[in-house]
Amino acid sequence: MLFNSFQFLVFFPVVTTLYFLIPHRFRWGLLLAASCYFYMAFIPKYILILFVTITVDYFAGIGLETTQGNRKKWILLASIIANVGMLGFFKYFNFANENIAAFANFIDWNYPIENLSIILPIGLSFHTFQSLSYTIEVYRGHQKAERHYGYLALYVLFYPQLVAGPIERPQNILHQLHEEHHFEYQRVTDGLKWMAWGMFKKVVIADRMALFVNPIYDSPTGHDGPALVFATIAFAIQIYCDFSGYSDIALGSAQVMGIRLMKNFQHPYFARSISEFWRRWHISLSTWFRDYVYIPLGGNRAGARRTAINLLITFLLSGLWHGANWTFVIWGALHGMYIILNHWMEPRWTRLRDSGFAKRFTPALNGLSLLSTFGLVCFAWIFFRASTLPDAFYITTHLFSGWPDFVRQTSSLAQEGIHSGFWGLLSGLFASLNGITDLTRSEIILSIFALVLLLYIEIKQHRGDFLAQFNLKQPVLRYIGYSLLVVIILALGTSYTGVEQAFIYFQF
Amino acid sequence: MIPKNDLLKFLKNTTLVVVLVAVAITAIFIATPPDDKHLYQASLLKSNLLHTVPSPRIIIVGGSNVAFGIDSELMEQELGIPVINDGLHVALGIAPLNEIKDYLRPGDIVIISLEYYNFTDEQSFYGQPQYLADWVEFSPERIWYLRDPYKQMPSIFTIMLERKVNRQLNYYLNGFSYEAGRNFYSGDLFNEHGDFIGHLGENGNKQFEIADSVYPINLIESAYVFLEDFNQFALSKGAMVYYEAQAHRQTNCEQTGKKHLDRFFNRLKTKTTIPLLTNLDQLCLPDDYFYDTPYHLNEQGRRVRTERLIDSLKVALGLK
Repeated sequence: MLFNSFQFLVFFPVVTTLYFLIPHRFRWGLLLAASCYFYMAFIPKYILILFVTITVDYFAGIGLETTQGNRKKWILLASIIANVGMLGFFKYFNFANENIAAFANFIDWNYPIENLSIILPIGLSFHTFQSLSYTIEVYRGHQKAERHYGYLALYVLFYPQLVAGPIERPQNILHQLHEEHHFEYQRVTDGLKWMAWGMFKKVVIADRMALFVNPIYDSPTGHDGPALVFATIAFAIQIYCDFSGYSDIALGSAQVMGIRLMKNFQHPYFARSISEFWRRWHISLSTWFRDYVYIPLGGNRAGARRTAINLLITFLLSGLWHGANWTFVIWGALHGMYIILNHWMEPRWTRLRDSGFAKRFTPALNGLSLLSTFGLVCFAWIFFRASTLPDAFYITTHLFSGWPDFVRQTSSLAQEGIHSGFWGLLSGLFASLNGITDLTRSEIILSIFALVLLLYIEIKQHRGDFLAQFNLKQPVLRYIGYSLLVVIILALGTSYTGVEQAFIYFQF
Repeated sequence: MIPKNDLLKFLKNTTLVVVLVAVAITAIFIATPPDDKHLYQASLLKSNLLHTVPSPRIIIVGGSNVAFGIDSELMEQELGIPVINDGLHVALGIAPLNEIKDYLRPGDIVIISLEYYNFTDEQSFYGQPQYLADWVEFSPERIWYLRDPYKQMPSIFTIMLERKVNRQLNYYLNGFSYEAGRNFYSGDLFNEHGDFIGHLGENGNKQFEIADSVYPINLIESAYVFLEDFNQFALSKGAMVYYEAQAHRQTNCEQTGKKHLDRFFNRLKTKTTIPLLTNLDQLCLPDDYFYDTPYHLNEQGRRVRTERLIDSLKVALGLK
């Protein structure tokens, strides 16, 4: 079930109302049944895969707690193999097979194994990682094994974060599932506000940006630099709003029921370095890789070269986690190299910035850092979004083509229009964008309006707790604000295409 | 379990937001009537004809291939039976066919001429939401002619809302409505039979590519089930149903070797009991007979197609 579907609009209030009406001892059952229903709205039979891994992890957890020494390691290994094996089979088998077949073809070897016709279970990478974190934490002694099968199943299946995270840790979530949560006005309404804001980001901005991005990325060879740059920036906004919008809805819907999920995004495009970006982007995944891959590999404790290798391995795996395609591997590798470069440059950059002369230009330098970070992230997004490697290489090699024509066209369109000066230029720019995107002028203006609203709220949130501040405003202003947000979601949302757009991260 | 004060406060404030939202949306709906130049404005004329033209009559239904490609006046003169051209747009799928069901009377003759495109997938057959929303906007009770009205109602409603907001914005920005870029596809260019006449006497642009034509490659099974159900329903009402092929360009026929078309009509023959009016040997028309797309006949093509249809109908009705 999609959060942005009318089905969810019925599902959520029904489940939440029942949740508060029934006694606490039955709530886990209600939430588990609701979560199964939520998941089975996609492909029902795949729920069995989840229950297989939950069952393995249930017994592994108890085994890990009651045994010591080598046997304990074997149990952990068995759990990891079961979880990763499932992920590997569904997500990576065909990828590996295709590459082996291509290599076999290269050396003239008749390779007999065909690809499997399997569909990737929705959110498999997410719940696999969440399951893994349970057994690893029990192994490490940070978490007690869950003796109640239903609660462990709910930990993996809890519907707000089941298909696209945040990837939770058992220490944060399991005890909350056991606790009794009452209906508290402020918490419930704050949760609903988060959900509405997430919905705005998804259906108003991300899905609207997709209208700009998809036609260009679906056939990039038909486009020049301006369209490619424009589509890439639009994709950066789309993926942020799509994924952080999902996370906001997940956090909000869990918060309504009294369960606090970890924050997954912290205004990543305000980051002034790549390492800061990764402290703000998909936090639950980056901390997962930090805790379970990077640090066990040795982290930064074994010299600069080893640290660089560890970083590269971690980011390559992170890329592969996103998708079984070389484009994702390159995306991961790019970020790995960015981070290595970032680590090398950071002390030098700090020294430069702190020098007397440069201090006078701090705001400009901060702006430069922010823009260059955004530029690097956007460059990497090209590989993330492109369907194939040739497409990605075409885009990266044509980013600077066609600009003189674009400028000429814009200025001639500006002269043809009724406005002059800045408004004329703006009008010409709209006309040029119109040519690139096939969207009407009003649709472009509505998109810009939505982006300005997003930017305003993001800046406010970045500077402080916007929601807490907004809660202190005059009731009239607040209620007009809430109503306006709902109207904007309804009027400018996914309805444009008539089809609910799935969240990008569902495919992972 | 739920503190009474918190619950009351929650219900009161939620109701307030719901009321404010309802007021805002109602204001948008009242302030933004349907676009009177929209192509679908003609659907009101067609509905009115279905309601008022006495039976027995001929109703030709399909997409724009029917609107552009049939001369109802000529048919009426030749056959002596009133003719209604109920063709409008391919994206409406079979929604207009569902509408016809409400108006069928004994003696009526329904000629279905859907575009091949309609048979490619479910959405193309049952209608695309963004177009159905425009169609429903002109007459809200049409929501009941959609495939799954209760399920589609929310999305149709939000699409309508989005279109109205866009229209208002366009009006303030440009002084004209959302559909101002429609070219000559305007709702006021239909004659009293429901034929589109805006293209008559005009020189069309014949430079469209072969790829512009959609061939019936993927054929969905449910389409034939629907058509046969419709046929049985019409028979139960004392009406008759025929199928007339969409006109096809000679160049396209040569390029595809007609094999996809033959497959389409073979399937229609085996899966339904609807008689086919078109002589398949005359399926392909010269390229010169087409106007601006591979679906739209020009004046000359329209006359040739109509004359052939009249001949076929005379045979089918025992008038020849």
